[in-house]
Amino acid sequence: MTGWTVIWVLAGVAGVSATTWVSTPKGPNQVLIRTSVVSALTCMYLMWCIVYLAQLHPLIKPKRSDVRYLD
Amino acid sequence: MSDEGLFRSATMSLIQLYIPSETAHATISELGELGNVQFKDLNPDVTPFQRSFASDIRRVDEMDRRIRFLYAQMDKEKVPVRSLESALPFVNFGGLDARRGPQMMDELFQKLKEHEERLGQMNGSYETLQKRLQELEEAKHVLRETAVFFDQAEGRQEQVRGSIDDANAPLLDDVESRGFNSQRGDESGYGTFDLEFVAGTIERTRMATFERILWRVLRGNLYMNYAEIEEPFDDPTREEPVSKNVFIIFAHGAELLAKIRKISESMGGTLYPIDSNADRREESLREVLSRIEDLNNVLFSTSATRRTELVKVAESLSAWADVVRKEKLIYSTMNQFMYDSRRKTLVAEGWCPTNEIGQIQLALRRAAENAGTNAPPVLQELRTHKDPPTFQRTNKYTAALQNVGDSYGIAKYKEVNPGLFNFILLPFLFAVMFGDIFHAFLMTLAASSMCLFEKKLAKIDNDIFSMFFYGRYMMLLMGLFSMFTGLMYNDVASKSMHLFHSGWQWPRAEEGTVVEAIQLARTYPIGIDPGWHGADNALVFTNSLKMKMSVILGVCHMTLGVCLNLPNFIHFGKRWKIWAEFVPQMLFLQSLFGYLVFAIIYKWSTDWYETDASGNVFRNNPPNLLNMLIYMFLKPGDVDPKEQLYPGQATVQTFLLITAFVCVPWMLIATPYIEWREHQKIKGQGYRAIGTADGPGEDEDENGEEGSGANGHHGNGGAGGHSGSDEMEEEEHEFEMGEVIIHQVIHTIEFCLNCISNTASYLRLWALSLAHAQLSEVLWSMTISGAFGMTGVVGTLATVFAFALWFVLSIVILCCMEGLSSLLHSVRLVWVEFGSKFYQAGGYAFEPLKF
Repeated sequence: MTGWTVIWVLAGVAGVSATTWVSTPKGPNQVLIRTSVVSALTCMYLMWCIVYLAQLHPLIKPKRSDVRYLD
Repeated sequence: MSDEGLFRSATMSLIQLYIPSETAHATISELGELGNVQFKDLNPDVTPFQRSFASDIRRVDEMDRRIRFLYAQMDKEKVPVRSLESALPFVNFGGLDARRGPQMMDELFQKLKEHEERLGQMNGSYETLQKRLQELEEAKHVLRETAVFFDQAEGRQEQVRGSIDDANAPLLDDVESRGFNSQRGDESGYGTFDLEFVAGTIERTRMATFERILWRVLRGNLYMNYAEIEEPFDDPTREEPVSKNVFIIFAHGAELLAKIRKISESMGGTLYPIDSNADRREESLREVLSRIEDLNNVLFSTSATRRTELVKVAESLSAWADVVRKEKLIYSTMNQFMYDSRRKTLVAEGWCPTNEIGQIQLALRRAAENAGTNAPPVLQELRTHKDPPTFQRTNKYTAALQNVGDSYGIAKYKEVNPGLFNFILLPFLFAVMFGDIFHAFLMTLAASSMCLFEKKLAKIDNDIFSMFFYGRYMMLLMGLFSMFTGLMYNDVASKSMHLFHSGWQWPRAEEGTVVEAIQLARTYPIGIDPGWHGADNALVFTNSLKMKMSVILGVCHMTLGVCLNLPNFIHFGKRWKIWAEFVPQMLFLQSLFGYLVFAIIYKWSTDWYETDASGNVFRNNPPNLLNMLIYMFLKPGDVDPKEQLYPGQATVQTFLLITAFVCVPWMLIATPYIEWREHQKIKGQGYRAIGTADGPGEDEDENGEEGSGANGHHGNGGAGGHSGSDEMEEEEHEFEMGEVIIHQVIHTIEFCLNCISNTASYLRLWALSLAHAQLSEVLWSMTISGAFGMTGVVGTLATVFAFALWFVLSIVILCCMEGLSSLLHSVRLVWVEFGSKFYQAGGYAFEPLKF
């Protein structure tokens, strides 16, 4: 997986958001449902993308001194 | 104009109602059931005592007092009061046939009065009886205790007499005294004791004083004896039971005895007539005992009757209380109306949501039918330039989160409502700080069970519980988001999950040495790689990640805040502010902090150790972003090639810096200039005051005002006209250039400084999530991990105990305490960092009349 994953997922999230935006039925809660779904998706995408990007090209490597081998 | 859900508050109308006075009561009770009209006080200058329905209110208050008295009685007797829902069928106020309404109220008034009087009488007689009983009890004790004194005294007497008989007894007296003795001796052993005595009871605390006073007053010419009564007495006038002493004082002479009596009475003692004769004492004791028994019977039956009375009242008390509460609301609402005595109508004004006027019309017609007239109250919509109240239509899901926003400030009418965005953003920000799958799971469990059993749980009446219950949907969202962020942090109560293939592999090395993992050609797809879990330098990595994440999320959040200015500017007809404020603010924010976000992401997505075909690293070392930002200000246009992030960096940074600096004077000058120009334009048209600048709209306003003003003149001396002129004055504010400039300077400085300090403030996301993770790790290693090494019975017991400790502390510290602190910080972020970007919060809430 490369950095392009971020873009693909973004496209996916945007697609889902747009679908929800269009398909939300009219009514007193239309605005609420649209906003909630879109903002929840955005937040979750941002979070995932930040964690993913931070590990894409790591600058430091994990070190530990307590490694044991089972065999 | 259609309503836009929670985005803006509901459209409101000012309505005027002409209510014939005979249907007024029915109308208000219908509108109260409907609950969507907020009435204005049309006689603000009239004191509560001078208002039209003051006497009705007094009567309702009296009923209210009686109901409170009855409730207090219930409380005292511990009679359970039937709850309102189940009590309603017992009272036939349900339908409240309006024609019979007043009559019903009269009946209820009478009923309450009777009940109060009856209970009052019963309480009175109960108290007298109790007092009598107490006196008798005391008498009983006095009789018993004094018997002991007399017995002792008799013994002593025998000795004394013996010595007299034997030795120095005068001969003459002997016969006399013997005769005397034989005369009285069979009656009592005290014949020769012609000392007289006083017996009674006194409070134990006063005993010492009493004794001393007597000693001084009688100069020691007394013999006093006392005994403590073991069981304390209930004094109805005092909180605590009183313990008393029985005393008996022997003294000589009527004068001294009178003195003793006086003193003991003044000290609060009670005296009881006691006969020195043992048989008579016995007799009176028997009498006292039988009277006590009688009294006990009477008392029991009195309290039983009182209880039956109370139980009967308890059936319908809460329904009566409800009726009285409504009645009081109705009359105090009617007091806000203007009374037109000539036309016998009440004039009411109030706000209501525009799209509910139809419902209100229906309710008015219903009220007229109920009242038995065919002239329904007349509803008329007024035009006004006053600010309507803010009414956000919430439902059970959004109410709690909307309330969080409202407690910071109520939005101006039709201002963009931050509650809509907070609905998701606040739980999300919370989750960033609370990210842990296990703790979030517990929270979700609690919240979802409250949501599932909401009907049952809604009845629980406990302050703390109902607070959590009110926010159950908010809690559910917080829990769900926290589970997501927990997945991202790969943190389950300080352990990690290995769901995908890790991007790291541990090489073979000697045990005990420091090993560095080898990077594989893959990235852990969702969340933090479990390879980091337990690594010595895990904190270095997670801190860097979480810090950068906080900045990115913060800048996004603030950008949204600035963007929300747009709908406000467009709606309030200040499109020029888009160019004068929104654009420079956005440019300033993005050229400094948007650029920082860009740099963070660019640095992440670049492979700094990438090699070219010949295997050489062709990039420089990864630059330090903090230094980059500092040198962007200190040495604009100059980037050290060793610290370069990307080619052409110097030019871009210089450009951004210039943009940011240009934005500051732009923000400073544009708004005051445009406002000044508009003012000049108005002046140029020849108008003087701003109040008349609105043009055609104003005429209609005046018509509306005239309507209410005219009514005012018919009724209470022009109150309506007065409020009209008030409105005009409010509109007239002078345009002062100085004020506008100062306001703008403050606004600009605030915005620029806030951009910096608020970005720093978002770092709390990092700090709190770090604290949460570390705390849960410490908890794990301090409790349960210590028990895992043990074996045998001790090991089993230790594990069970350690698990219990770990689980309880997880809930108390990590879920409750940490949860509350994360909530507090996320509330602050949405109030201050997000809200200050666009939220004016200058409105007032819509508070309709509602039963």
